[in-house]
Amino acid sequence: MARKTRTKARTTAVAAIGLGIALAATGCAGGGSDNSSSSGSGSGSSGGNVTVTVWENATNGPGAAYWKNAAAQYHTLHPNVTIKIQSIQNEDFDGKLQTALNSNSAPDIFMQRGGGKMQAMVDAGQIQPLNLTATDQANTGAAALAASTLDGKVYAMPTDTQPEGIYYSKDLFKKAGITSTPTTIADLEADVAKLKAIKVAPIAVGAKDAWPAAHWYYNFALRECSQSVMTDVVKSLKFTDPCWTKAGTDLASFLKVSPFQNGFLTTSSQQGAGSSAGMLANHKAAMELMGNWDPGVIASLTPNQKPLPDLGWFPFPTVPGGQGAPTAIMGGGGGFSLSKNAPKEAFGFLEFLVTKDQQEAYAKAFDTIPINKQAQEVVTDSYNVSALQAFNKAPYSMQFLDTEYGQNVGNALNTAIVNLMAGKTDAAGVVKATSDAAAKG
Amino acid sequence: MSDTLGTDAAESRRSQGTPGVGDVVESASPAPSRAGVRRRGRARARIEITVMSAPAILMFLAFVIFPVALAAYYGFYRWHGYGAATDWVGLNNYKLIFTDPAFHSVLWHNGVVLVLSLVLQGPVAIVLALLLNRKMRGRALIRVLIFVPYVISEVIVGTGWGLMLQANGAINDLLGHIGLSSLQADWLANPHLAIWTLMVIISWKYIGFAVILMLAGLQSIPEELFEAAQIDGASYWQIQRRITLPLLGPTIRIWAFLSIIGSLQLFDLVYIIWGPYVAGTAGTSTMAIYMIGQGRNAGNFGYGSAIAVVMFLISLVVALIYQRFVLRRDLKGAVTEGGVV
Repeated sequence: MARKTRTKARTTAVAAIGLGIALAATGCAGGGSDNSSSSGSGSGSSGGNVTVTVWENATNGPGAAYWKNAAAQYHTLHPNVTIKIQSIQNEDFDGKLQTALNSNSAPDIFMQRGGGKMQAMVDAGQIQPLNLTATDQANTGAAALAASTLDGKVYAMPTDTQPEGIYYSKDLFKKAGITSTPTTIADLEADVAKLKAIKVAPIAVGAKDAWPAAHWYYNFALRECSQSVMTDVVKSLKFTDPCWTKAGTDLASFLKVSPFQNGFLTTSSQQGAGSSAGMLANHKAAMELMGNWDPGVIASLTPNQKPLPDLGWFPFPTVPGGQGAPTAIMGGGGGFSLSKNAPKEAFGFLEFLVTKDQQEAYAKAFDTIPINKQAQEVVTDSYNVSALQAFNKAPYSMQFLDTEYGQNVGNALNTAIVNLMAGKTDAAGVVKATSDAAAKG
Repeated sequence: MSDTLGTDAAESRRSQGTPGVGDVVESASPAPSRAGVRRRGRARARIEITVMSAPAILMFLAFVIFPVALAAYYGFYRWHGYGAATDWVGLNNYKLIFTDPAFHSVLWHNGVVLVLSLVLQGPVAIVLALLLNRKMRGRALIRVLIFVPYVISEVIVGTGWGLMLQANGAINDLLGHIGLSSLQADWLANPHLAIWTLMVIISWKYIGFAVILMLAGLQSIPEELFEAAQIDGASYWQIQRRITLPLLGPTIRIWAFLSIIGSLQLFDLVYIIWGPYVAGTAGTSTMAIYMIGQGRNAGNFGYGSAIAVVMFLISLVVALIYQRFVLRRDLKGAVTEGGVV
């Protein structure tokens, strides 16, 4: 009898534990099975009052104000639709979004990074294809849409373009006696020598974060590899074309003139005055290769936290004998996606974002280049004008390679470039590292 | 667990009329005469134990055991973290880990940190503790100063040292100003120096903890032993060697255990100072850094989970071996060994 009582107590305990596991397991399995139940094409209601949630990454300043205004204006136009903006800190964004998507609590609209991440969301049936009208297509333009298209379907509404080039201090260039911006790597190397003579770091790079260092390789690859070679790798992930090794050799030989600041391996790119952007902001370095978010970052790091008045921009120099177009441009693009359960009113808000007025406000708030050509007249800063001209002249634009080739290969590529810059590997080692990574993911 | 293991012993004791482990309620009330009352009392005790421990057990299962099980599950998949895992790859992730030269080098770094922590911090901590155990002026202040680095958060320590040790940071600047510019170096990025830089920072940070442990151990050694030895004419060093060190043994062994586990799991300082990319280049990356780099940063959550499992198993095996062979005599009586009393 005593034994039986004990057994019962134990059974109770076991049952309680079992229940806990079961709860946890079903909680998880629920998310899993719902995910596999494929993408509905906007289960949305119509007519009644609808609330649309939006996740974006501008947490303060004019960027956050832009979103608030856009939401209010859209509500005035469509009183039955309430747009709920949620700002999420950039570094927290991807993790939070991933959890939300997997647990079926995703926002209706969210900032899309594109590339491999967007591909993974499409594969998991977590986002909707967009049926763009002719007006939408005219507003966004074919080049930008191409970057958000997978297998003929558009999965993100592009909002801005982030062409990459070299930001430089006009004052320091003048002081070093440099009269025109360099157009070839040889010119750039000559300018590096001149800048060293006036005792500033010629070029700042935040190699601690890896990607800023890797962008040097991306741009050499953009010059060395033809467009078709670069886009073919998206599917094959095989870096067999000799141009990939050539780009690595180019970077290695460029390193021989020591163009970067002392201790660049442990310099971060955006945090504080000691970062690469901070060095440019404080005239400790003359140049930095970066996408067009850089002026905003630099502005926050100048002594008075105002935009750097002498900031200029020039496109990445050409490389003799390269297979890529000499005016091709590297760059990312911002955009927004609809999660699978988003109501159709959410798409209306996306369309609203690319209209002329909204694009002008957006470009002003984020100090960026709008995707809508009619809105591009608001671009007045000298560096943005230069970047826009180069962008409009470019025969094609290539997405940053760590996005383009997916996180896995991109991450390995970035790490390998850091090793190359530290002298720990060579061009062949970079190509091998990227191929090895493909096996892990 | 202990409930089931202790059962037989409790049962036998109970039959002899002495109160057992599980009979807290019973023994509180004076000698219940009838068996029925006893049984009801015991059942109540069981329910109480269940109710009281259930929340803790549930938390432990939900936030420790369940995630470990999930990591083991995802370790068998190639999974990018979006949607459900479907691409079963068997043991392929583990094969890749063990053949990856990057993993070999992080293992090596963990090993170096483990051994050097013991070798560098142990003797210094013991000597400092012996010194601080003597009466002297400013003892309390020195104790506090030695313990302060341990209290400061890893992020602050990492950021501070990281800034000071930059190629154009405060340390090189100072060396330049006092005429030692020949000693200036790239403390963080030079692969020959970086691991030693890390060891200096780790020792600075954690030695306070070791010293406090050793001091506590010293205080628990009975004063009489020292007095007796002094009367017998033993010198200061003889006393330390023959009495203090042997009696400090349990403390040293526990400290070493904590240090070993800490070394195997080292993450935050390296992550803050070097970041997940440059750590590999500079030769300071650890298993945890490798896991973050290959798992989260590369978006290979399946592969990352497999690394987590490997790390867990390595730590577990080391901990079990250490407990079995080194800590056995210290833990005697504290752990239940297979129900044998």
